[in-house]
Amino acid sequence: MKNLLQNLWEKVTNSRPWKSFFRHGWPDNPLDRSLIMTTNIFFHLHPVRVNKKSIRAAYSLGLGVITTVMFIILALTGILLMFYYVPSTELAYFDIVKLQTKVPFGQLLRNMHRWGAHLMVLSAVLHMVRVFYTGAYKPPREFNWVVGVILLILTIAGSFTGYLLPWDQLAFWAITVGTSVAAYEPLMGKTIKKILLGGPEVGQAALTRFYGLHVMVVPAILLLVISLHIWRVRKDGGLAANEVKDDDELEAENDSN
Amino acid sequence: MTATKKPQEKEQNFTKSSGKTYSLVEVVKAPTVMVDKGPDNTIFAFPIVAILELIIALGSTLFLVLFSLLKDAPLEEHANAIITTDPAKAPWYLMGLQEMLEHMHPTLAGIILPALSVLFLILIPYIDHSREGAGVWFTSKRGKRIVGWTALYTTIVMIGFVALDHTFPPRELLRDVLPNLVTQSIIPGSIMAFLVILPVLYLWRFKKGTTNAREVMLVLFTVLFFTAIVLTLTGFLFRGPGFELYMPWAMPNGYNPFDGL
Repeated sequence: MKNLLQNLWEKVTNSRPWKSFFRHGWPDNPLDRSLIMTTNIFFHLHPVRVNKKSIRAAYSLGLGVITTVMFIILALTGILLMFYYVPSTELAYFDIVKLQTKVPFGQLLRNMHRWGAHLMVLSAVLHMVRVFYTGAYKPPREFNWVVGVILLILTIAGSFTGYLLPWDQLAFWAITVGTSVAAYEPLMGKTIKKILLGGPEVGQAALTRFYGLHVMVVPAILLLVISLHIWRVRKDGGLAANEVKDDDELEAENDSN
Repeated sequence: MTATKKPQEKEQNFTKSSGKTYSLVEVVKAPTVMVDKGPDNTIFAFPIVAILELIIALGSTLFLVLFSLLKDAPLEEHANAIITTDPAKAPWYLMGLQEMLEHMHPTLAGIILPALSVLFLILIPYIDHSREGAGVWFTSKRGKRIVGWTALYTTIVMIGFVALDHTFPPRELLRDVLPNLVTQSIIPGSIMAFLVILPVLYLWRFKKGTTNAREVMLVLFTVLFFTAIVLTLTGFLFRGPGFELYMPWAMPNGYNPFDGL
Protein backbone atom coordinates (compact mmCIF):
# COMPACT_ATOMS: atom_id res chain seq x y z
CA MET A 1 0.00 0.00 0.00
CA LYS A 2 2.74 2.41 0.97
CA ASN A 3 4.66 1.41 -2.12
CA LEU A 4 1.62 2.04 -4.25
CA LEU A 5 1.15 5.54 -2.85
CA GLN A 6 4.81 6.32 -3.31
CA ASN A 7 4.66 5.10 -6.88
CA LEU A 8 1.59 7.18 -7.54
CA TRP A 9 3.22 10.25 -5.96
CA GLU A 10 6.30 9.82 -8.07
CA LYS A 11 4.22 9.31 -11.18
CA VAL A 12 2.27 12.50 -10.52
CA THR A 13 5.30 14.62 -9.68
CA ASN A 14 7.18 13.31 -12.69
CA SER A 15 4.26 13.82 -15.03
CA ARG A 16 4.34 16.41 -17.77
CA PRO A 17 1.50 18.59 -16.40
CA TRP A 18 2.99 18.67 -12.87
CA LYS A 19 6.42 19.58 -14.19
CA SER A 20 4.94 22.20 -16.43
CA PHE A 21 3.47 23.84 -13.34
CA PHE A 22 6.07 23.34 -10.61
CA ARG A 23 9.62 24.05 -11.69
CA HIS A 24 11.07 22.85 -8.40
CA GLY A 25 11.06 19.78 -6.21
CA TRP A 26 9.84 19.49 -2.62
CA PRO A 27 11.56 22.40 -0.83
CA ASP A 28 13.54 20.45 1.77
CA ASN A 29 16.99 21.12 0.31
CA PRO A 30 18.93 24.31 -0.53
CA LEU A 31 18.41 24.06 -4.30
CA ASP A 32 14.65 23.61 -4.16
CA ARG A 33 14.30 26.18 -1.40
CA SER A 34 15.99 28.66 -3.73
CA LEU A 35 13.98 27.57 -6.76
CA ILE A 36 10.62 27.85 -4.97
CA MET A 37 11.36 31.51 -4.29
CA THR A 38 12.55 32.34 -7.79
CA THR A 39 9.94 30.38 -9.76
CA ASN A 40 6.82 31.39 -7.82
CA ILE A 41 5.32 34.78 -8.68
CA PHE A 42 4.24 35.48 -5.09
CA PHE A 43 7.37 34.17 -3.44
CA HIS A 44 9.69 35.88 -5.89
CA LEU A 45 9.00 39.23 -4.25
CA HIS A 46 11.04 37.81 -1.38
CA PRO A 47 14.76 37.12 -1.40
CA VAL A 48 15.99 33.52 -1.36
CA ARG A 49 17.78 34.07 1.92
CA VAL A 50 16.91 36.57 4.63
CA ASN A 51 18.94 38.00 7.43
CA LYS A 52 17.88 36.75 10.85
CA LYS A 53 17.68 40.33 12.11
CA SER A 54 15.13 41.35 9.52
CA ILE A 55 12.52 38.83 10.70
CA ARG A 56 12.56 39.93 14.33
CA ALA A 57 9.04 40.97 15.32
CA ALA A 58 10.29 43.88 17.43
CA TYR A 59 12.02 45.39 14.42
CA SER A 60 9.31 45.66 11.78
CA LEU A 61 6.23 44.89 13.92
CA GLY A 62 4.81 43.25 10.79
CA LEU A 63 3.01 46.47 9.86
CA GLY A 64 3.75 46.30 6.13
CA VAL A 65 2.42 42.76 5.95
CA ILE A 66 -0.71 43.74 7.91
CA THR A 67 -1.32 46.63 5.47
CA THR A 68 -0.95 44.28 2.49
CA VAL A 69 -3.23 41.68 4.09
CA MET A 70 -5.85 44.37 4.69
CA PHE A 71 -5.62 45.36 1.02
CA ILE A 72 -6.29 41.74 -0.02
CA ILE A 73 -9.22 41.41 2.43
CA LEU A 74 -10.64 44.72 1.19
CA ALA A 75 -10.36 43.57 -2.43
CA LEU A 76 -12.16 40.28 -1.68
CA THR A 77 -14.93 41.74 0.51
CA GLY A 78 -15.21 44.66 -1.91
CA ILE A 79 -15.90 42.34 -4.86
CA LEU A 80 -18.61 40.58 -2.83
CA LEU A 81 -20.13 43.95 -1.87
CA MET A 82 -20.26 44.91 -5.55
CA PHE A 83 -22.69 42.02 -6.17
CA TYR A 84 -25.27 43.68 -3.92
CA TYR A 85 -24.65 47.36 -4.53
CA VAL A 86 -25.83 49.77 -7.22
CA PRO A 87 -24.22 53.24 -7.16
CA SER A 88 -27.40 55.20 -7.56
CA THR A 89 -28.60 57.92 -5.19
CA GLU A 90 -32.00 56.24 -5.21
CA LEU A 91 -30.86 52.63 -4.68
CA ALA A 92 -27.50 52.72 -2.90
CA TYR A 93 -28.77 53.36 0.62
CA PHE A 94 -31.47 50.70 0.41
CA ASP A 95 -29.00 48.21 -1.07
CA ILE A 96 -26.92 48.64 2.07
CA VAL A 97 -29.99 48.21 4.30
CA LYS A 98 -30.95 45.08 2.33
CA LEU A 99 -27.39 43.78 2.56
CA GLN A 100 -27.44 44.17 6.33
CA THR A 101 -30.87 42.68 6.92
CA LYS A 102 -31.56 40.20 4.10
CA VAL A 103 -28.24 38.90 2.77
CA PRO A 104 -26.65 36.03 4.77
CA PHE A 105 -23.50 37.37 6.47
CA GLY A 106 -24.15 40.70 4.70
CA GLN A 107 -23.67 42.74 7.87
CA LEU A 108 -20.43 40.88 8.67
CA LEU A 109 -19.23 41.45 5.11
CA ARG A 110 -19.86 45.19 5.32
CA ASN A 111 -18.35 45.41 8.81
CA MET A 112 -15.18 43.68 7.62
CA HIS A 113 -14.87 46.05 4.67
CA ARG A 114 -15.43 49.12 6.85
CA TRP A 115 -13.17 48.20 9.75
CA GLY A 116 -10.59 46.71 7.41
CA ALA A 117 -10.40 50.05 5.58
CA HIS A 118 -9.81 51.94 8.84
CA LEU A 119 -7.23 49.38 9.89
CA MET A 120 -5.42 49.68 6.54
CA VAL A 121 -5.11 53.47 6.85
CA LEU A 122 -3.94 53.07 10.45
CA SER A 123 -1.40 50.33 9.72
CA ALA A 124 -0.09 52.24 6.67
CA VAL A 125 0.51 55.31 8.85
CA LEU A 126 2.16 53.23 11.59
CA HIS A 127 4.25 51.41 8.97
CA MET A 128 5.56 54.75 7.74
CA VAL A 129 6.30 55.84 11.30
CA ARG A 130 8.18 52.57 11.90
CA VAL A 131 10.20 52.99 8.71
CA PHE A 132 11.08 56.54 9.66
CA TYR A 133 12.19 55.83 13.22
CA THR A 134 14.29 52.84 12.17
CA GLY A 135 16.00 54.99 9.53
CA ALA A 136 14.96 52.52 6.85
CA TYR A 137 14.46 55.32 4.29
CA LYS A 138 18.20 55.91 4.02
CA PRO A 139 20.09 55.09 0.81
CA PRO A 140 19.58 52.92 -1.17
CA ARG A 141 15.94 52.96 -0.07
CA GLU A 142 15.11 56.65 -0.75
CA PHE A 143 12.94 55.96 -3.75
CA ASN A 144 10.98 53.25 -1.98
CA TRP A 145 10.23 55.72 0.81
CA VAL A 146 8.78 58.08 -1.79
CA VAL A 147 6.75 55.18 -3.22
CA GLY A 148 5.53 54.56 0.33
CA VAL A 149 4.39 58.18 0.75
CA ILE A 150 2.46 57.85 -2.52
CA LEU A 151 0.93 54.58 -1.25
CA LEU A 152 -0.24 56.31 1.92
CA ILE A 153 -1.97 59.01 -0.12
CA LEU A 154 -3.52 56.34 -2.39
CA THR A 155 -4.72 54.39 0.66
CA ILE A 156 -6.42 57.48 2.04
CA ALA A 157 -7.88 58.18 -1.41
CA GLY A 158 -9.26 54.63 -1.51
CA SER A 159 -10.84 55.00 1.90
CA PHE A 160 -12.19 58.48 1.20
CA THR A 161 -13.86 57.51 -2.10
CA GLY A 162 -15.47 54.51 -0.40
CA TYR A 163 -16.82 56.70 2.39
CA LEU A 164 -19.50 58.19 0.13
CA LEU A 165 -20.91 54.92 -1.20
CA PRO A 166 -23.41 54.01 1.59
CA TRP A 167 -25.13 57.31 0.71
CA ASP A 168 -26.26 58.01 4.26
CA GLN A 169 -26.04 61.31 6.14
CA LEU A 170 -22.61 60.40 7.51
CA ALA A 171 -21.25 59.71 4.02
CA PHE A 172 -22.88 62.72 2.40
CA TRP A 173 -21.65 65.30 4.90
CA ALA A 174 -18.21 63.81 5.37
CA ILE A 175 -17.58 64.06 1.63
CA THR A 176 -19.18 67.52 1.50
CA VAL A 177 -16.82 68.70 4.23
CA GLY A 178 -13.83 66.83 2.78
CA THR A 179 -14.19 68.13 -0.77
CA SER A 180 -14.95 71.70 0.33
CA VAL A 181 -11.36 71.91 1.57
CA ALA A 182 -10.09 71.27 -1.96
CA ALA A 183 -11.99 74.32 -3.20
CA TYR A 184 -9.80 76.62 -1.07
CA GLU A 185 -6.78 75.94 -3.23
CA PRO A 186 -6.38 79.34 -4.91
CA LEU A 187 -5.44 78.33 -8.47
CA MET A 188 -7.13 75.03 -9.32
CA GLY A 189 -9.29 74.40 -6.24
CA LYS A 190 -12.69 75.04 -7.77
CA THR A 191 -11.78 73.02 -10.86
CA ILE A 192 -10.47 70.08 -8.80
CA LYS A 193 -13.64 70.03 -6.73
CA LYS A 194 -15.76 70.17 -9.88
CA ILE A 195 -13.83 67.31 -11.50
CA LEU A 196 -14.08 65.24 -8.30
CA LEU A 197 -17.80 65.80 -7.76
CA GLY A 198 -18.88 66.14 -11.38
CA GLY A 199 -20.95 69.16 -10.37
CA PRO A 200 -21.26 71.94 -7.84
CA GLU A 201 -22.31 69.64 -4.98
CA VAL A 202 -22.41 66.00 -3.88
CA GLY A 203 -25.01 64.25 -6.05
CA GLN A 204 -25.44 61.37 -8.50
CA ALA A 205 -22.44 62.50 -10.58
CA ALA A 206 -20.24 62.48 -7.48
CA LEU A 207 -21.49 59.02 -6.46
CA THR A 208 -20.78 57.63 -9.94
CA ARG A 209 -17.28 59.11 -9.97
CA PHE A 210 -16.44 58.03 -6.43
CA TYR A 211 -17.70 54.53 -7.21
CA GLY A 212 -15.58 54.29 -10.35
CA LEU A 213 -12.52 55.57 -8.53
CA HIS A 214 -13.17 53.31 -5.55
CA VAL A 215 -13.75 49.98 -7.28
CA MET A 216 -11.46 50.38 -10.28
CA VAL A 217 -8.99 53.24 -10.48
CA VAL A 218 -7.60 53.41 -6.93
CA PRO A 219 -7.36 49.60 -6.37
CA ALA A 220 -5.68 49.08 -9.76
CA ILE A 221 -3.06 51.75 -9.07
CA LEU A 222 -2.65 50.47 -5.50
CA LEU A 223 -2.05 46.91 -6.71
CA LEU A 224 0.58 48.11 -9.14
CA VAL A 225 2.36 50.41 -6.69
CA ILE A 226 2.20 47.90 -3.79
CA SER A 227 3.87 45.32 -6.06
CA LEU A 228 6.54 47.87 -6.98
CA HIS A 229 6.99 48.73 -3.29
CA ILE A 230 7.47 45.12 -2.13
CA TRP A 231 9.66 44.16 -5.10
CA ARG A 232 11.78 47.21 -4.42
CA VAL A 233 12.33 46.09 -0.80
CA ARG A 234 14.10 42.99 -2.13
CA LYS A 235 15.97 44.93 -4.82
CA ASP A 236 17.25 47.41 -2.23
CA GLY A 237 18.73 44.63 -0.15
CA GLY A 238 15.89 43.58 2.12
CA LEU A 239 14.93 45.21 5.38
CA ALA A 240 17.36 47.81 6.68
CA ALA A 241 17.91 45.70 9.81
CA ASN A 242 20.31 43.64 7.62
CA GLU A 243 22.81 46.43 7.67
CA VAL A 244 23.16 46.65 11.40
CA LYS A 245 26.39 45.04 12.43
CA ASP A 246 26.41 43.14 15.69
CA ASP A 247 29.44 43.01 17.97
CA ASP A 248 31.02 39.97 16.31
CA GLU A 249 30.84 41.55 12.90
CA LEU A 250 32.28 44.84 14.14
CA GLU A 251 35.14 42.96 15.79
CA ALA A 252 35.87 41.05 12.60
CA GLU A 253 35.89 44.31 10.70
CA ASN A 254 38.28 45.96 13.14
CA ASP A 255 40.60 42.98 12.95
CA SER A 256 40.78 43.15 9.19
CA ASN A 257 41.55 46.88 9.22
CA MET B 1 49.12 18.23 -33.09
CA THR B 2 45.90 20.15 -32.76
CA ALA B 3 45.92 19.83 -28.97
CA THR B 4 49.26 21.60 -28.64
CA LYS B 5 48.29 24.32 -31.05
CA LYS B 6 45.19 25.50 -29.20
CA PRO B 7 46.79 27.21 -26.17
CA GLN B 8 49.08 29.13 -28.51
CA GLU B 9 46.12 30.52 -30.39
CA LYS B 10 44.57 31.58 -27.11
CA GLU B 11 47.71 33.42 -26.08
CA GLN B 12 47.71 35.31 -29.32
CA ASN B 13 44.18 36.43 -28.77
CA PHE B 14 44.75 37.65 -25.26
CA THR B 15 48.33 38.83 -25.08
CA LYS B 16 49.42 39.00 -21.50
CA SER B 17 52.17 41.57 -21.62
CA SER B 18 51.56 44.52 -23.86
CA GLY B 19 54.20 46.79 -22.51
CA LYS B 20 51.66 48.41 -20.29
CA THR B 21 53.30 48.53 -16.90
CA TYR B 22 50.63 50.36 -14.95
CA SER B 23 46.97 50.08 -14.16
CA LEU B 24 44.49 52.65 -12.94
CA VAL B 25 43.07 51.90 -9.55
CA GLU B 26 41.02 54.18 -7.38
CA VAL B 27 39.63 53.83 -3.93
CA VAL B 28 36.00 54.87 -3.99
CA LYS B 29 33.68 55.49 -1.12
CA ALA B 30 30.62 53.46 -1.95
CA PRO B 31 28.12 51.25 -0.18
CA THR B 32 29.01 47.61 -0.07
CA VAL B 33 25.64 46.00 -0.16
CA MET B 34 26.53 42.35 0.21
CA VAL B 35 30.29 42.36 0.66
CA ASP B 36 31.44 41.23 4.10
CA LYS B 37 27.99 39.98 4.90
CA GLY B 38 28.56 36.29 4.80
CA PRO B 39 25.78 33.77 4.75
CA ASP B 40 26.31 33.18 8.48
CA ASN B 41 23.53 35.52 9.52
CA THR B 42 21.12 34.54 6.82
CA ILE B 43 18.64 31.71 6.61
CA PHE B 44 16.52 30.39 3.77
CA ALA B 45 13.43 32.55 3.38
CA PHE B 46 11.40 29.42 2.68
CA PRO B 47 9.58 28.35 4.74
CA ILE B 48 10.19 30.69 7.69
CA VAL B 49 9.13 33.94 5.96
CA ALA B 50 6.10 32.27 4.42
CA ILE B 51 5.09 30.92 7.84
CA LEU B 52 5.58 34.29 9.55
CA GLU B 53 3.52 36.03 6.89
CA LEU B 54 0.82 33.40 7.20
CA ILE B 55 0.71 33.90 10.97
CA ILE B 56 0.38 37.69 10.58
CA ALA B 57 -2.25 37.25 7.86
CA LEU B 58 -4.32 34.79 9.92
CA GLY B 59 -3.89 36.83 13.10
CA SER B 60 -4.97 40.14 11.57
CA THR B 61 -7.85 38.47 9.69
CA LEU B 62 -9.05 36.82 12.90
CA PHE B 63 -8.86 40.16 14.70
CA LEU B 64 -10.85 41.82 11.93
CA VAL B 65 -13.55 39.11 11.91
CA LEU B 66 -13.93 39.21 15.70
CA PHE B 67 -14.10 43.01 15.74
CA SER B 68 -16.65 42.92 12.89
CA LEU B 69 -18.79 40.45 14.87
CA LEU B 70 -18.73 42.74 17.89
CA LYS B 71 -19.24 46.15 16.29
CA ASP B 72 -21.42 47.03 13.33
CA ALA B 73 -20.43 49.58 10.72
CA PRO B 74 -22.46 52.78 11.15
CA LEU B 75 -25.38 53.55 8.86
CA GLU B 76 -27.32 56.73 9.45
CA GLU B 77 -30.42 58.03 7.69
CA HIS B 78 -30.64 58.40 3.93
CA ALA B 79 -28.45 61.22 2.61
CA ASN B 80 -30.25 64.55 2.62
CA ALA B 81 -28.68 67.71 1.24
CA ILE B 82 -31.19 69.90 3.10
CA ILE B 83 -30.62 68.58 6.64
CA THR B 84 -27.08 69.25 7.83
CA THR B 85 -25.77 66.85 10.46
CA ASP B 86 -24.39 68.44 13.60
CA PRO B 87 -21.47 68.15 13.80
CA ALA B 88 -20.55 67.47 10.15
CA LYS B 89 -17.22 65.69 10.29
CA ALA B 90 -14.81 64.37 7.66
CA PRO B 91 -13.45 60.78 8.01
CA TRP B 92 -11.16 60.44 11.03
CA TYR B 93 -7.90 60.57 9.04
CA LEU B 94 -8.91 64.01 7.73
CA MET B 95 -10.03 65.31 11.14
CA GLY B 96 -6.61 66.86 11.73
CA LEU B 97 -7.18 69.00 8.64
CA GLN B 98 -10.70 69.89 9.68
CA GLU B 99 -9.44 70.84 13.14
CA MET B 100 -6.83 73.15 11.60
CA LEU B 101 -9.58 74.84 9.56
CA GLU B 102 -10.98 76.03 12.90
CA HIS B 103 -7.77 77.87 13.69
CA MET B 104 -6.58 79.47 10.44
CA HIS B 105 -7.43 80.43 6.89
CA PRO B 106 -8.60 77.47 4.77
CA THR B 107 -5.86 77.95 2.17
CA LEU B 108 -3.23 77.73 4.89
CA ALA B 109 -4.88 74.87 6.83
CA GLY B 110 -6.23 72.85 3.94
CA ILE B 111 -3.66 73.42 1.20
CA ILE B 112 -0.35 75.02 2.20
CA LEU B 113 0.41 73.13 5.44
CA PRO B 114 -0.68 69.69 4.11
CA ALA B 115 1.31 70.28 0.90
CA LEU B 116 4.37 71.28 2.94
CA SER B 117 3.94 68.17 5.11
CA VAL B 118 3.83 65.83 2.11
CA LEU B 119 6.75 67.65 0.50
CA PHE B 120 8.72 67.28 3.74
CA LEU B 121 7.95 63.55 3.89
CA ILE B 122 9.13 63.05 0.32
CA LEU B 123 12.30 65.05 0.90
CA ILE B 124 13.38 63.29 4.14
CA PRO B 125 15.68 60.70 2.51
CA TYR B 126 17.22 63.33 0.24
CA ILE B 127 18.03 65.68 3.12
CA ASP B 128 19.27 62.93 5.46
CA HIS B 129 21.20 60.81 2.99
CA SER B 130 23.84 59.29 5.21
CA ARG B 131 23.64 55.53 5.59
CA GLU B 132 24.56 55.58 9.25
CA GLY B 133 22.08 54.21 11.72
CA ALA B 134 19.85 52.55 9.16
CA GLY B 135 17.95 49.66 10.68
CA VAL B 136 18.21 50.83 14.29
CA TRP B 137 15.22 52.19 16.18
CA PHE B 138 15.81 55.94 16.80
CA THR B 139 19.43 55.52 15.60
CA SER B 140 20.97 55.90 19.07
CA LYS B 141 20.25 56.53 22.75
CA ARG B 142 20.59 60.23 22.03
CA GLY B 143 18.11 59.86 19.15
CA LYS B 144 15.65 58.14 21.48
CA ARG B 145 15.95 61.03 23.96
CA ILE B 146 15.45 63.58 21.18
CA VAL B 147 12.29 61.81 19.99
CA GLY B 148 10.95 61.45 23.54
CA TRP B 149 11.41 65.11 24.46
CA THR B 150 10.15 66.34 21.08
CA ALA B 151 7.04 64.16 21.42
CA LEU B 152 6.36 65.58 24.89
CA TYR B 153 7.03 69.14 23.71
CA THR B 154 4.78 68.80 20.65
CA THR B 155 1.91 67.26 22.61
CA ILE B 156 1.98 70.06 25.15
CA VAL B 157 2.39 73.03 22.78
CA MET B 158 -0.19 71.74 20.28
CA ILE B 159 -2.80 71.15 22.99
CA GLY B 160 -1.86 74.62 24.26
CA PHE B 161 -2.21 76.09 20.77
CA VAL B 162 -5.65 74.57 20.26
CA ALA B 163 -6.86 75.63 23.72
CA LEU B 164 -5.43 79.18 23.56
CA ASP B 165 -6.55 79.79 20.00
CA HIS B 166 -9.98 78.53 20.95
CA THR B 167 -10.22 80.81 23.99
CA PHE B 168 -8.63 83.91 22.42
CA PRO B 169 -9.10 83.57 18.67
CA PRO B 170 -7.10 86.39 17.01
CA ARG B 171 -9.38 86.41 13.95
CA GLU B 172 -12.33 87.29 16.24
CA LEU B 173 -10.57 89.59 18.73
CA LEU B 174 -8.63 91.57 16.11
CA ARG B 175 -11.31 91.48 13.42
CA ASP B 176 -11.66 95.27 13.22
CA VAL B 177 -8.05 96.09 14.03
CA LEU B 178 -6.05 94.12 11.49
CA PRO B 179 -6.81 92.84 7.99
CA ASN B 180 -8.02 89.23 7.58
CA LEU B 181 -4.77 88.20 5.92
CA VAL B 182 -2.90 89.01 9.14
CA THR B 183 -5.36 87.51 11.61
CA GLN B 184 -6.25 84.39 9.63
CA SER B 185 -2.99 83.53 7.90
CA ILE B 186 0.07 85.42 9.08
CA ILE B 187 -0.52 85.16 12.85
CA PRO B 188 -1.43 81.43 13.01
CA GLY B 189 1.11 80.61 10.29
CA SER B 190 3.88 82.36 12.22
CA ILE B 191 2.89 80.63 15.46
CA MET B 192 2.96 77.24 13.70
CA ALA B 193 6.32 78.00 12.07
CA PHE B 194 7.74 79.15 15.40
CA LEU B 195 6.50 76.02 17.23
CA VAL B 196 8.08 73.80 14.57
CA ILE B 197 11.41 75.64 14.38
CA LEU B 198 11.88 76.08 18.14
CA PRO B 199 12.94 72.48 18.95
CA VAL B 200 15.26 72.45 15.91
CA LEU B 201 16.89 75.65 17.10
CA TYR B 202 17.22 74.18 20.58
CA LEU B 203 18.87 71.06 19.18
CA TRP B 204 21.21 73.10 17.00
CA ARG B 205 22.15 75.77 19.54
CA PHE B 206 22.13 74.20 22.96
CA LYS B 207 22.66 70.49 22.53
CA LYS B 208 26.22 69.36 23.02
CA GLY B 209 27.67 66.96 20.50
CA THR B 210 27.35 66.78 16.77
CA THR B 211 23.99 67.55 15.30
CA ASN B 212 23.43 65.75 12.03
CA ALA B 213 20.67 65.69 9.46
CA ARG B 214 19.19 62.56 11.02
CA GLU B 215 18.64 64.31 14.34
CA VAL B 216 16.98 67.29 12.68
CA MET B 217 14.74 64.86 10.78
CA LEU B 218 13.91 63.06 14.03
CA VAL B 219 12.77 66.37 15.53
CA LEU B 220 10.78 67.52 12.50
CA PHE B 221 9.09 64.17 11.85
CA THR B 222 8.18 63.80 15.53
CA VAL B 223 6.71 67.31 15.52
CA LEU B 224 4.67 66.45 12.42
CA PHE B 225 3.53 63.06 13.72
CA PHE B 226 2.50 64.26 17.17
CA THR B 227 0.86 67.41 15.78
CA ALA B 228 -1.19 65.13 13.54
CA ILE B 229 -2.11 62.95 16.54
CA VAL B 230 -3.14 65.91 18.72
CA LEU B 231 -5.16 67.62 15.98
CA THR B 232 -6.80 64.36 14.83
CA LEU B 233 -7.78 63.38 18.37
CA THR B 234 -9.02 66.90 19.13
CA GLY B 235 -11.17 66.94 16.00
CA PHE B 236 -12.35 63.37 16.32
CA LEU B 237 -12.90 63.01 20.07
CA PHE B 238 -13.34 66.49 21.51
CA ARG B 239 -15.45 68.26 18.87
CA GLY B 240 -19.19 67.97 19.42
CA PRO B 241 -22.34 69.70 18.17
CA GLY B 242 -21.62 73.11 16.66
CA PHE B 243 -18.03 71.89 16.32
CA GLU B 244 -17.50 73.13 19.88
CA LEU B 245 -14.99 71.58 22.28
CA TYR B 246 -16.43 69.13 24.81
CA MET B 247 -15.07 66.30 26.88
CA PRO B 248 -15.66 63.10 24.86
CA TRP B 249 -17.73 61.55 27.68
CA ALA B 250 -19.84 64.69 28.19
CA MET B 251 -21.12 65.35 24.68
CA PRO B 252 -24.53 67.06 24.49
CA ASN B 253 -27.51 65.65 22.54
CA GLY B 254 -26.25 62.10 23.04
CA TYR B 255 -23.60 62.60 20.36
CA ASN B 256 -20.95 59.87 20.35
CA PRO B 257 -17.82 60.58 18.25
CA PHE B 258 -17.32 56.85 17.63
CA ASP B 259 -20.68 56.59 15.84
CA GLY B 260 -19.11 58.42 12.91
CA LEU B 261 -16.27 56.00 12.26
